[in-house]
Amino acid sequence: MTALATEPATRTRTVSPYRLTFGHLLRSEWIKITSVRSTWWSLGITAALSIAISMMIAGASSGFGPGFPAVSAILMPTQFTMLVAGILGAIVITGEYSTGMIRSTLTAEPRRGAVVAAKAVVVAALMAVVTAVTYAIAIVATSPLLSEGIDWSEPSLSIVPLAFGVLSMVAFTLIGLGFGFIVRNGAGAIATTVGVLFVLPIVVSMFAMAGESWRWIVDLGQYLPMNAASTLTAPGGEDLVPALLALAGWTLIPLLIGWGVLRTRDA
Amino acid sequence: MIVAEQLTKRFGDKTAVDGVSFTVQPGKVTGFLGPNGAGKSTTMRMIVGLDRPTSGRTTVGGQDYRALRAPLTEVGVLLDAKAVHTGRTARNHLRAMAATHGIPLSRVDEVIRITGLDSVANKRAGKFSLGMGQRLGIASALLGDPHTLILDEPVNGLDPEGVRWVREFVRHAADEGRTVLLSSHLMSEMAQTADHIVVLGRGRVLADAPLDSLVRAWTTMTMRVRSPRAAELAGLVTGPDVRITSTAPGLLDIAGLTAEFVGDTAAAHGIPIHELTTTTGSLEQAYLALTESSVEYKTKEIS
Repeated sequence: MTALATEPATRTRTVSPYRLTFGHLLRSEWIKITSVRSTWWSLGITAALSIAISMMIAGASSGFGPGFPAVSAILMPTQFTMLVAGILGAIVITGEYSTGMIRSTLTAEPRRGAVVAAKAVVVAALMAVVTAVTYAIAIVATSPLLSEGIDWSEPSLSIVPLAFGVLSMVAFTLIGLGFGFIVRNGAGAIATTVGVLFVLPIVVSMFAMAGESWRWIVDLGQYLPMNAASTLTAPGGEDLVPALLALAGWTLIPLLIGWGVLRTRDA
Repeated sequence: MIVAEQLTKRFGDKTAVDGVSFTVQPGKVTGFLGPNGAGKSTTMRMIVGLDRPTSGRTTVGGQDYRALRAPLTEVGVLLDAKAVHTGRTARNHLRAMAATHGIPLSRVDEVIRITGLDSVANKRAGKFSLGMGQRLGIASALLGDPHTLILDEPVNGLDPEGVRWVREFVRHAADEGRTVLLSSHLMSEMAQTADHIVVLGRGRVLADAPLDSLVRAWTTMTMRVRSPRAAELAGLVTGPDVRITSTAPGLLDIAGLTAEFVGDTAAAHGIPIHELTTTTGSLEQAYLALTESSVEYKTKEIS
């Protein structure tokens, strides 16, 4: 360590120009999320998986018959990539707990609600941009493979489901983040997220064969995140409000509980 | 200035910190001592708002830490070297910390230079040695040029040069009027660095005093006297509270008397004195005497 003389002798009790602001916090969270490899692994896998599956579906689309909407080829991979989105959301915060970084984070910003909000905004924005770019690449890459291209003149068969696709990926990411704040442990948060996103819909679908008396479980299953997202991204879908509310609930409730947990528990 | 008032922290039925009150004054280095499990780290964590006190309160500069609007410029804190994401480089860690307050990159590079991290700044923190991690933690604490420094075991794992650097740094910071609270298990290091000592044991304050008065109160001053008529002198100064031992002919070790009294007595009787050396106890002796009964994880005496 160098001589102490290099430490500027600004021992003035004047007010420091540096301040905590939400904008600064967003900048900090942006630096954090973009400076660890796990983020780029998650996003890279999401994009590669999404584009590759889209191209496979597009290649096989001629066999689906004339009614197959081209936009579905872009959106169907969401059923798989949602897991990676949820996992990314979870590790953004559980990585801080496992390494102890959370203590640095919370000493820099002791208002814990702001930490939750800043992380949510940054991870949501990043996922939205990456998903939009992924869709754009997938649209270009699949166009030579599709017998019938996307009908851009009809919003309900093009831009609306795509926008809901982006929204769904953001929701899945935030569900993971919320569970991450609640559970704190990486493996636990990922298991919970995968359970809610992927396992519950399968469990529910089993009851479809169980007869009328179990019908209510299947009906309720429509409000699971994945099922709500399927409703939203279905081309030409109608009556989207319940699905939208369900997805919003799944996103906001874990985040609010996570905020409550962060506020009350010791870090 | 850091103030703790009746600070208490319970984890389940275990009381880690039990009604602790003390004040850390600016312009001094205050040493925070205590056996493992005495509640030092928990107290420090409560000061910076990481743990919520069960009861009581702490303030930094008169304010609750959680109410500070620019905490990094008020308090620089090193709680443990492992408060860093292992996948992030040292420089990116400091960039992220600095960004929360809008602290410019030039300051990030400055603290990297001050703490001697230049050569490893672009390495991931997970690859750091304990000493490098410690330097990174100190760099992080310095980012906002804070008025108050709270350093938990800052020299742990540092090389001798780093240890000396920390000592000079905290002395310099205190001389500039900053408030410094420092914990360490290295008594000799603490004796060289601290002005004031707060000792915790089993979650309570055992002592809160200036370093020299603490040492004086908890150790006995001994005196070594060399004289050709040692036995005669011993007979003259002996008394109920006086302990005299002799390890060699002509040599006395006396406890419980002042050098003035022994010297004057010898002069009055014409006894020649060849050596009269007083030795005050060390901080370590004082500390061990203080915490004797409150060591939670006591090592068995080897007989």
